[in-house]
Amino acid sequence: MNTVDASEHYELGATDLAPSLLTIVIDTNPHAWDILEESLPLSKAIANILVFINAHLACNYANEIAVVASHTHKAAWLYPSQTLSHSTDQDGDISMSTDTTPQPNKYRPFRIVEDQVTRNLKELMESTTPDHLRGNTSTMLAGALTLALSHINRRTIAWAEEHGGANPDDAPAEGTAPSNRYSASNEDEKLQSRILIVSVSGSSDSAHQYIPVMNSIFACQRLHIPIDVCKLSGDAVFLQQACDATKGVYMSLAEPRGLLQYLMMAFLPDQRSRRHLVLPTRVDVDFRAACFCHRRVVDVGFVCSICLSIFCEPPPGSECLTCGTHLDAGNYNSKPALLPRKKKKKKKVNGASGAGTPISVSTPGS
Amino acid sequence: MADSDEEYVGDVTEDEDELQVTRGDNPRAKKRKQRGGAEWELSRTWETLVEGADGTISSTVEGLLEANKRKRLLKDTTPLQRGIIRHLILIIDLSQSMSEKDLRPTRYLLTLRYAQEFVREFFEQNPISQLGVLGLRDGLALRVSDMSGNPTEHLTAIQALKTQDPKGLPSLQNGLEMARGALFHTPSHGTREVLIIFGSLLSSDPGDIHQTIGTLISDKVRVGVVGLAAQVAICRELCTKTNGGDETAYGVALNEQHFRELMMDVTTPPAAYSQKESASSLLMMGFPSRTVETAPSLCACHSKPSRGGYLCSRCNSKVCNLPAECPSCGLTLILSTHLARSYHHLFPLINWIEVPWRRASKSSACFACGISFPSVPPEDQWLVTESQTKGMSVSSRYECTACHSHFCIDCDLFAHEVVHNCPGCQSKGAE
Repeated sequence: MNTVDASEHYELGATDLAPSLLTIVIDTNPHAWDILEESLPLSKAIANILVFINAHLACNYANEIAVVASHTHKAAWLYPSQTLSHSTDQDGDISMSTDTTPQPNKYRPFRIVEDQVTRNLKELMESTTPDHLRGNTSTMLAGALTLALSHINRRTIAWAEEHGGANPDDAPAEGTAPSNRYSASNEDEKLQSRILIVSVSGSSDSAHQYIPVMNSIFACQRLHIPIDVCKLSGDAVFLQQACDATKGVYMSLAEPRGLLQYLMMAFLPDQRSRRHLVLPTRVDVDFRAACFCHRRVVDVGFVCSICLSIFCEPPPGSECLTCGTHLDAGNYNSKPALLPRKKKKKKKVNGASGAGTPISVSTPGS
Repeated sequence: MADSDEEYVGDVTEDEDELQVTRGDNPRAKKRKQRGGAEWELSRTWETLVEGADGTISSTVEGLLEANKRKRLLKDTTPLQRGIIRHLILIIDLSQSMSEKDLRPTRYLLTLRYAQEFVREFFEQNPISQLGVLGLRDGLALRVSDMSGNPTEHLTAIQALKTQDPKGLPSLQNGLEMARGALFHTPSHGTREVLIIFGSLLSSDPGDIHQTIGTLISDKVRVGVVGLAAQVAICRELCTKTNGGDETAYGVALNEQHFRELMMDVTTPPAAYSQKESASSLLMMGFPSRTVETAPSLCACHSKPSRGGYLCSRCNSKVCNLPAECPSCGLTLILSTHLARSYHHLFPLINWIEVPWRRASKSSACFACGISFPSVPPEDQWLVTESQTKGMSVSSRYECTACHSHFCIDCDLFAHEVVHNCPGCQSKGAE
């Protein structure tokens, strides 16, 4: 029924459509980029992504962008930067006059995004010490996703407030039903948000973030935010699930050098256009999970019936590590009971008939 | 309403003489009662209003709103053992009395709408649970949808009911017996529950309903009832007896909103009983991956040709739908995403604390969304503002006790209700 409503609105109010907010999560894990150095260095990738961002901004004057870096030891905003208000107050003027080469022909939003992204990325890289990288090859994907979601939430609320009445059922639902507040009531009148993850790290690295990552994925699913994944190297289990759950696009690039081409063709259309497109998404999805005890990625596991924790082997002492319940290991590892084969008794067809015959014979005789 | 009650009795005595009628003792005297009946006290919100310095009440109103949000948020975060694998039968009254219009638009339509919401929310909260829907109409129990873990099946079945009209009398006993039959074969590690949405004030049964209640108790089926009209004695008895003396499973809706709340309360997984009523066991499960083949092949479960499917992680036979039990090796196959959906119950996010002005100067903007906080006022004004506000943070900052980041109220709500992650803890990582 909802869909019918939505399509009607779409037909009627097609003149002024809600803008879309694209949040890009860039995996800046130096270990993984080092491997990619020959085909696609980070600087080139960033340049490609900036062109893509410009294309997104150019689609609609009200389109918005946000960029989060998922680094090895922290997740950080690249755009809009948190400290923006500070820096413009104190040294904003100075920096403008020194390093901005006059680019009168550049569209201002393009320049702002470009400046901030490159500056913040540079700061991030400079703040990374060898200590941070030693023995830590993962990326803070869960944090980056959570930050991205918080920003989307903030922008959605702000947008709904600006366009008062765009979300009429928000007010009554406020005090009472939390689920209403976050369920998409009318998709076309809301700010359209989506998340694009440019991922380079492998899956085994992020197994320890399994739960937070899954939590973020379910939040996206609930808010109808598609997660698109552009995988430059490696293969991440959980990101496939993310795309599958949120109906996003998953692409593993065979040729990372063509990043811009892929971005423009596969990831630029927003939700509204996607309804009319056949998306290049993945059909086979890896649904493995990470176990809670050793953070291994498993395809057959043991599940506690009380709390649903996954273990890769029966936990020591048969006690659930999460909830402490004593668990019956059931008949795991026991050999299947073999029923001793019964010897088939052959029915003595002849004997039976032989027994019957004398009677039948005897009857007429008597 | 009392009039319509009389009509029902008339119907019963004329048409269905042989049926025993169990009805609420004197519906006239019954008021609509809430669970304990104790929530009738008024909260005098107007008395808490205080004029702000500029003579308006906007600041107080905003404070109240924020406090309200916060109140909803502060819930118990201790992980409970919850019997999360649930088997629930939803029984919907589809009898004459549901056409009453005291709930807008009608009891019938509202119930069906809430039932659909209930199904969605139920599977959101209890991902690998099973649900079935029954209806009570014309003295019979009607099978609306079978026990299954697929919400869309139930949703379409309930949607189809909307075209039909409520009619006849309900029979609680028939409904309960059918529910008992549907729950009979469910494994011992799951719960067995029945939720009845009951709009009538009587039940026209073919036999002794007390016997049915007895068998429900011996089968460990818990019954909850949401009444729409008034309290009915048999419902109360049913709930009390099947829940081990606990009356809270019976609620009578005061209005639309309360009705919804009563229903949605059932979606949160119940805490497991302390006494060992169900054997906890370690289940071996497979998390198969989805494959798409170039040529169609037969699936092991229905022997239908299909291209897509899931390969059992132990024996590689193909099943077409999850969750399922592998037809050839018996391994329980589920989607790991189904399991993961409930993990925020296991590892709930700790409540964030309010930040007094004293420590507020540490931050100027929300860590997660970057909205700027009100600046710290001079020290002599601290006490004034602190005395005004209850249940909310004076400085509009909320602090995660693990990572000591400050957040705004919206991010606080969002993090606790939707994401179930702390943006600060997740993005700072192990240092």
